[in-house]
Amino acid sequence: MKEIQELHLPEELKYTQDHEWVRGTETVRIGITDFAQDQLGDIVFVELPEVGTQFEAGDVFSTVESVKAVSEVYTPVSGEVVAVNEPLEENPELVNQDPYGQGWIMDIKTSDSSELEGLMDRSAYMEMLKGEE
Amino acid sequence: MHEQETKETPLHQWHARHAASMAPFGGYDMPLWYASTKEEHLAVLTRAGLFDTSHMAVVEISGPDARALLQLCFSRNLEQCLQLGQSPLYSGRSVYGVFLSPKGHVVDDAIISQISSNHYLAVVNAGMGAEITAHLRSYATGYNADLADLTDGLGKVDLQGPKAGLILRQLLEDPDKVLAEMPYFSFKGNFPLETDSPSRVRFRDGTPLLLSRSGYTGEFGFELFVPPHRLQAIWESLLEAGREYGLSPCGLAARDSLRTGAVLPLSHQDIGDWPFLNTPWDFALPWANIDHGFSKSFVGGEALSRMEEAPITHPFVGRDPRKVQVDEATRVTAESGEELGSVLTCTTDMGIGWYGDRIFSIASPDKPDDFKPKGLCCGFVRINRPLADKETVLLRDARRSIRVYPTRSIRPDRTARKALSRMLRE
Repeated sequence: MKEIQELHLPEELKYTQDHEWVRGTETVRIGITDFAQDQLGDIVFVELPEVGTQFEAGDVFSTVESVKAVSEVYTPVSGEVVAVNEPLEENPELVNQDPYGQGWIMDIKTSDSSELEGLMDRSAYMEMLKGEE
Repeated sequence: MHEQETKETPLHQWHARHAASMAPFGGYDMPLWYASTKEEHLAVLTRAGLFDTSHMAVVEISGPDARALLQLCFSRNLEQCLQLGQSPLYSGRSVYGVFLSPKGHVVDDAIISQISSNHYLAVVNAGMGAEITAHLRSYATGYNADLADLTDGLGKVDLQGPKAGLILRQLLEDPDKVLAEMPYFSFKGNFPLETDSPSRVRFRDGTPLLLSRSGYTGEFGFELFVPPHRLQAIWESLLEAGREYGLSPCGLAARDSLRTGAVLPLSHQDIGDWPFLNTPWDFALPWANIDHGFSKSFVGGEALSRMEEAPITHPFVGRDPRKVQVDEATRVTAESGEELGSVLTCTTDMGIGWYGDRIFSIASPDKPDDFKPKGLCCGFVRINRPLADKETVLLRDARRSIRVYPTRSIRPDRTARKALSRMLRE
């Protein structure tokens, strides 16, 4: 398992308490953090939402299944799914290998971009992780 | 098992230095995986894996009545357990079975190895040494037998996978002699390990070992018992010798998925404090050939032979890697919704997948060229009625419901029983 200092946490992203990351402002991309993939271990299956689905902030939009556990992924913003990362159906290990790049899960068009304001920046997320240790 | 302080094996510092994900198991802080469970699982199917199994306990049974005590307490008939039940257990051979309570419930499972006609070792599960010793002692009145709980007194590693023999051969003293004529469930070496006699087995560096052709993965390989103070040196030598063969250290998560795919039970999870009947491990009971009764009288046998009905334990396999979490709320139902029972184990064998209507393994010699295993959910359910031919069932946890197929065999083309001579050819 990685030490907190070893985690890759890009500066430009926003983070949630449930270990999702968010990139962008209006249509945003969402995935799970390096911490989350490291905790889960090898990911063997990702259930993707359907394009066009409407979610409210706090809804489960995906489940990520590892050898160790099945874990829900929550959307921190409301809106409509405009794209999903279909290659994860064949290659779920991309979430482990590249959580912020090829391991993204969905793009959602936000209906209330003020919901993004409550998210953590890198340093706040780091502080939260240190508190969880 | 009793709650107690978490113990460490002699390899604990090595695991920590290699960034293993650790978790308590059987009272010990054990590695779950190092870098990747999936890679570790696949390494054992295609190359070789090395497991720290020093958490397992050994009980020594010796004396003129040692065999008679085991005949009373162990589920196998030691006089009829080899060669399809025709031959007795003899020195240098091992046999799998269970210790039952008078009610016919499993106290623990064990592999019994015969050192000599009045000297046996029982390898039992982590934390069970004291309990099995006490269990045997409670039946030993009037028997001239000594019992010793050797918990933490032996180091143990399992070298498993098709390349295990090639790796081991590089490190053994006199390997051609040691690795000749060693069938599945046989062992070589002296016990106590330090006993010096022509039957001893040693590494080239002089470390003595007991070498058993067995394991818990369904794959070809060995269990190695060595003095605890030598364990880390041997572990590192094996990894070094195994480098050219792709040997990987493996954690308990891979061990669990490998054994499930091989339809091997985890004691206290798949077998436990309920009747040991109607299981895939029926061969561990001393059935007589003719009248379907038992061929010997033993603790728990009478209760089982009188029992009119007992739950049925069935292996299953899923359609894809998706599994359910196993807890008390997880249920098994028929397609009609009829309540059938509970889930004992549910994990993913990462080395297998469906291709058309057949399951292949990454190690299947006849796998199609474009076969790429995605892993299949598999495990055991305990249900209250037999299933009809091809009847599917649903496993349901708080999150989801998955359809699974009852089966007898999960991972095909396992190598555990292949001839040693074949596995030593490069």
